[in-house]
Amino acid sequence: MAEYRDYVVKLTVNGVTYIVSVKPYERLIDVLRYKLGLTSVKEGCGRGECGACVVILNGKVVPSCLTLAIRTNGAEVQTLEGLAPEGKLHAVQKALIEVHGIQCGFCIPGFAIAIKHLVDNNSNPTDEEIKEALDGYLCRCGSYSMLIEAARLTAKYVSEGRRYFDLRECLGE
Amino acid sequence: MHMPRFDVYVPQDLNDALSFLDERGEEAIPLAGGTDLLTLIRAGVVKPKILLDLWPLRKNLSYIRREGGYVRIGALTTVDEVLANYLFRDSRYLGFIDAARGLGPTFLRSIATIGGNVATGHPLSDMAILLLALKAEVKFVSRHGERRVSIDEIYLDKRKIDRRPNELIAEVAFREKPMSSSTAVLKIDRRRGHSMGYVVSASYMALEGDVITDVGIAFDSLGKPYPGRAYRTEEFLIGRRFSEDTIAESSKVLELEMTRLSDYRAPAEYRLSLSKTLLKKCLLLVSQRIKEELMHG
Repeated sequence: MAEYRDYVVKLTVNGVTYIVSVKPYERLIDVLRYKLGLTSVKEGCGRGECGACVVILNGKVVPSCLTLAIRTNGAEVQTLEGLAPEGKLHAVQKALIEVHGIQCGFCIPGFAIAIKHLVDNNSNPTDEEIKEALDGYLCRCGSYSMLIEAARLTAKYVSEGRRYFDLRECLGE
Repeated sequence: MHMPRFDVYVPQDLNDALSFLDERGEEAIPLAGGTDLLTLIRAGVVKPKILLDLWPLRKNLSYIRREGGYVRIGALTTVDEVLANYLFRDSRYLGFIDAARGLGPTFLRSIATIGGNVATGHPLSDMAILLLALKAEVKFVSRHGERRVSIDEIYLDKRKIDRRPNELIAEVAFREKPMSSSTAVLKIDRRRGHSMGYVVSASYMALEGDVITDVGIAFDSLGKPYPGRAYRTEEFLIGRRFSEDTIAESSKVLELEMTRLSDYRAPAEYRLSLSKTLLKKCLLLVSQRIKEELMHG
């Protein structure tokens, strides 16, 4: 079997800079899940059709299953794990809990990233804009109406300046 | 990890990439956004010896310029960058907004490129059919020079375009259109987002008063596994007065050209009916866009 050379890739994930060695065929999802242990990044379809593996790469939402790791040298990546500081929840996480937007939860990391990215760029989105931002993310439990509601609520919190919430309070402790 | 193994050549710049293709073009596949090619590799349909990573060339090949009476789009411009560009708020070029929105979800628009869409040669060609309707030209470059080809001449067969192994698509360009003209792209499928479309249609039309002075009509997902233009329908429309009657007559011409295929997605009869409906809807939308521009400027 042919040997493939290793590429050294330096990337910042959730504010922490890592130097990883990758093969040419490895994808960003392989790095995030199996090298860095960020298992919120889910491999649903592996072909850019479901949105479960979506992360924010240099300010844009990208499917990490269709992004070769060698393309991410110098990049800044955000995953669900990095949405809020330790002990806090991001507004989108609080909103998802409040509207009961989660059933099996597999699609949620993608939806949370999509909603976070939307409200970062537009804190007062219309329903049309919410639907466009969530287009292509699949939820097989069919919780779409709750997920749209969660996006509305997230936007409300963020536009009120309430971006982070105390984790313990959210859990009712 | 489910990705088959392959090697990738990461070029320093365009010259490096073209030198690489000159030597190994026969066995190498250029990789743009990867939204199509990587899925084919993962499915085992394409087994590449080596890929040529085009992403490092984005510093030179992602741009949208108006220059010398032409609109020029660098091949590695992403669909997102098209959506964000002010040029495409020009009422003449609103078809680009239709095409970009219809192409796929935000997370694919952020990496899918115009050159990649043109090069795929497969019914996923929202951008390519608009460029067909606009009678765009494709600029191929190699170490030995460049070649400009009308986009309707590059499609040879399913996923087969007239690109030589040592060439890359560098740019697509089209002549700036007259003020009283516009474009539209429409597709019909069971759902609105994230769909291929049973039939996809793009139209460009220029009017002088109510006379059609120039028109371009393109379809995808009809009968051939790559997009094409409805030349006879275009010829019929040029010089006629724009009206619903004219469109109705032109759809009889459309029946006589292009083929319609039956497959698991739609029977040929349905595709024929859809193609006529989309021709009408597209031309009416284009004329509405022209009218609105004339009224509001």
